[in-house]
Amino acid sequence: MDSQLLQFLGSLAAVSALITLTYILGFRSTARLESEDEARELFRLAVGGFEPAEIALDADHAGAIARNAEGRLAVLVPHGNQFVVRCLDPTTAIEARDGQLLIAELPNLMITLGERSQGWATTDIDANNA
Amino acid sequence: MPFNPVTYAIPVFVALILGELVWSRWAGDSRAYEWRDTGTSLAFGLGSTLAGALTGGLTAAMLVWMHDLSPLSVGWAWWAWPLCFVLDDLAYYWFHRSAHRVRWFWASHVNHHSSQHYNLSTALRQSWTGFVALSFVFRWPLALLGFEPGMILVCAGFNLIYQFWIHTEAVKRLPRWFEAVMNTPSHHRVHHAVNARYLDRNYAGTFIVWDRMFGTFAPEDDAERIRYGIVSQLGSFNLLYAVFHEWLGIARDVWRAPWRYKFDYIWREPGLEP
Repeated sequence: MDSQLLQFLGSLAAVSALITLTYILGFRSTARLESEDEARELFRLAVGGFEPAEIALDADHAGAIARNAEGRLAVLVPHGNQFVVRCLDPTTAIEARDGQLLIAELPNLMITLGERSQGWATTDIDANNA
Repeated sequence: MPFNPVTYAIPVFVALILGELVWSRWAGDSRAYEWRDTGTSLAFGLGSTLAGALTGGLTAAMLVWMHDLSPLSVGWAWWAWPLCFVLDDLAYYWFHRSAHRVRWFWASHVNHHSSQHYNLSTALRQSWTGFVALSFVFRWPLALLGFEPGMILVCAGFNLIYQFWIHTEAVKRLPRWFEAVMNTPSHHRVHHAVNARYLDRNYAGTFIVWDRMFGTFAPEDDAERIRYGIVSQLGSFNLLYAVFHEWLGIARDVWRAPWRYKFDYIWREPGLEP
């Protein structure tokens, strides 16, 4: 067998073994915010800068939403065991349903805020009262 | 086939990643690795070896061509090796600085930065499109100075091997004299940071002295927690998206821009606003 092909197959086997081992060793936890301070620090990393004036953490600390002084909204989206900050389009629809925020442009993200969710909704539809 | 030191280093890379994985687990640092992120990084590394096999011959041929054009010839004298290594590292500094400040070069180099983790697997997150991004031109001056192409490529290989072990949070600080001269895990953590104070700092490959000389050095401040990745985080483990996203971004921006600004989206800095 060609030595380069053998080398490639060996590398492929090593890569597969390392990924499996990473999984087995438990490096598959979900992202969790330590505190509101950590959320604030992460919001500040948004493209173009974002200084949160008000923050709401998900009940399980698995995400957060924030508003800056100009009324712009941003969210922390879990990605693996880290978070990604996304500034929301001003026209995006945010619906409060059963204490959860459903954001139109991020359909996979659900932020559970309980009664506080009403204060972040941008649509008039409230499933609790519908 | 010419001698490539990186080939012989691969088993050591695998063993060290294994060691760091076990060490992180033992230290209770559950965020040090993420299995899908590690998979993406290692797939990048594997793919880059294939890309290198496809374009390596052409890269070497162009170095030979440049060497033949030059009236200078250093030859294979023993003293040429350390000199070549140091000058290659200087060339790497300028390649790396350009790779962060010119979007065409960044479209390829962004691959190395797109992980939000900083561990030894991140070191193997190497680009597939370095040839398209013309990264090879930065080594042409060495060939024009008369250094043998084979010597340049071996030095470049050892430079890449050196840079592997500095991608870790397991090593905090090294002796002062070492931190003053060499690129270290501490210096390179700053380079991978997205914290505003650290952006576009510490471009060094092996010797941090280039950053100190050219005004791009920033020390690591233990008071501020480092966050890794790119300013606009990918938020995806999709390998093909991770490889090509910035090239797609260039195509989109050039397509949308008025004619007089199209070129700006290629040759100016990444993140240019309309």
